[in-house]
Amino acid sequence: MKRLTQAILLVLSGTGLLHIALLTDLYLRYVKEWMRPMLIASGVLLLLLGAAEVWSHRRPGAARARDRGEQGTYEDPDGHPHDHSGVPRAAWLLLLPALSMLLYAPPALGAYTASRQTSQPVAVQQDHFEPLPEVSPLPLTLGDFATRVRQDPEQAVKGRSIQMTGFVTPVERGEGWDLTRLLINCCSADAQAVKVRIHGGETPPADTWVTVVGTWRPDGMLGTSSAAVALDARTVRTIDRPADWYRDALVLPLAD
Amino acid sequence: MRETGQRSGDPYGAAVDEVASPAAEDGSLPRGSPLFVPLLFLGAAVLPGSLVVVVGLWGDEPAVQAWRNVCLSISVQALPFLLLGTALSGAINAFVPARVFDRALPRRPALAVPVAGAAGVVLPGCECASIPVASSLIGRGVTPAAAFAFLLSAPAVNPVVLTTTAIAFPGDPSMVVARLLASLATAVVMGWLWLALGREKWLRPTVRHTGHRPGHSRWTEFRLGFQHDFLHAGGFVVVGAMAAATFNVAVPESVLDTFSGSPWLSVLFLAGLAILLSVCSEADAFLAASLTGFSPVARLVFMVVGPMVDLKLIALQAGTFGRAFAIRFSAATTVVAILCSTLVGGILL
Repeated sequence: MKRLTQAILLVLSGTGLLHIALLTDLYLRYVKEWMRPMLIASGVLLLLLGAAEVWSHRRPGAARARDRGEQGTYEDPDGHPHDHSGVPRAAWLLLLPALSMLLYAPPALGAYTASRQTSQPVAVQQDHFEPLPEVSPLPLTLGDFATRVRQDPEQAVKGRSIQMTGFVTPVERGEGWDLTRLLINCCSADAQAVKVRIHGGETPPADTWVTVVGTWRPDGMLGTSSAAVALDARTVRTIDRPADWYRDALVLPLAD
Repeated sequence: MRETGQRSGDPYGAAVDEVASPAAEDGSLPRGSPLFVPLLFLGAAVLPGSLVVVVGLWGDEPAVQAWRNVCLSISVQALPFLLLGTALSGAINAFVPARVFDRALPRRPALAVPVAGAAGVVLPGCECASIPVASSLIGRGVTPAAAFAFLLSAPAVNPVVLTTTAIAFPGDPSMVVARLLASLATAVVMGWLWLALGREKWLRPTVRHTGHRPGHSRWTEFRLGFQHDFLHAGGFVVVGAMAAATFNVAVPESVLDTFSGSPWLSVLFLAGLAILLSVCSEADAFLAASLTGFSPVARLVFMVVGPMVDLKLIALQAGTFGRAFAIRFSAATTVVAILCSTLVGGILL
């Protein structure tokens, strides 16, 4: 691989990283926000590396130095100077993420991924539940709602008007649709869906972000694992996608 | 190494191969023909355009979008760790004299292995970072067995990983202890196994790691080593990310339920899943915690195998040490990791 091509690869990768992490918020589609400083630093570092490569390439005498065997030309054991630096062609593959970041950034994960997951992220077994605030409708995260429904012996959600926000995942079997959040811990390869089945009304288009107000759908014994994590919706309002769509709703209660 | 070097040493290299092929299709016309240039321009105008349209139509399928997202996100998240690792390996190569390692490690390889394994506990790094570092350690004269013990233990049991494990399994400290012990045991056993059975010839000769040579600028050596290692490893990370994204998107999670019943099958299945999913070692504890249908031992296997063997790492190892090594080493590590974690898990969990 030519040295100039190497420089171009480095610069493109660096620009791509800066594009998604510094100039735009695209990086939030792929990784958590704590990665941002690392991504920016990596972008700057790659740009510097690329610039240094170009600079050393254009410096007068660089060609002579290369011929002498300096500048990363490695010698065979038998003394023959080697090629430029033996970077394999696999390095070309770095073009794919670089161009994808610059020109063709894929959208955030959504209903397709959520519809393929059956299991819920573990809600830690909770023994003690704080009393719920006396507001109506009561905002809850999907994870909190699931925990309350399945584990709260006081049945505090019974008859309460509850407000939850997520995106729409149509279901193949059964009635209604799933109000969904995808949670990521590190990058979107580890995305996990938390879902609440919504009954009543028409199914909005997949991936629409909505705020739903309704009451727990009486099905099974509330406060035990037989209870359905489901809501009878009274209103379904379409909203703009929140900035923190991969938020871990389980860790930060009442975040909505 | 020599082979690759000679191929890419071709003055035209890959660039011309790829650029030339579309032109070669109109190429039955001789270059001197008056039609050649207009046809070339026509091809240049039409081909990329239709390619973009086809990719655009097909690329907006939800499955393809999910694939692209996962593929890009694995690459994006690996890049900073990869840069850290390759910078470190470049620095070791250019600035650290070989005698430092002679002094730090016990002279007998059999003793150096556990010491190197324990040293891995201190370095908080992703698995992508540890491979270039291990490679440069070998280049600086560290016995390969010790470098491999370090390679395996550094991503598996560092403070960050142990903390996330403790968070993912609250009120269950035995899981953290079991992960620490099983991963360390695997790393050390693999090091000794290499001493007993390993062959140097499986390793691609690390020609380029010459260390500092008198008369050359250390900074230039550092920069070139860093750049070379990054480009080299980066390409293989993308290969691994594409493979992992394919499995992530193609295998529905309902498959999990089929295997969670039988204890032995579930251990093997989660080991396989860890290899295919290629989740970062700092996040896999949360995933393991969510696999509630499986026994604790099977989940421990998932967390011990994952940081040591996965698609991304196999691709990276094949690129760094050669294919002959990567296949044997990954297969052996998988077996040893499953045995160690079932043993440790059986006692502790």
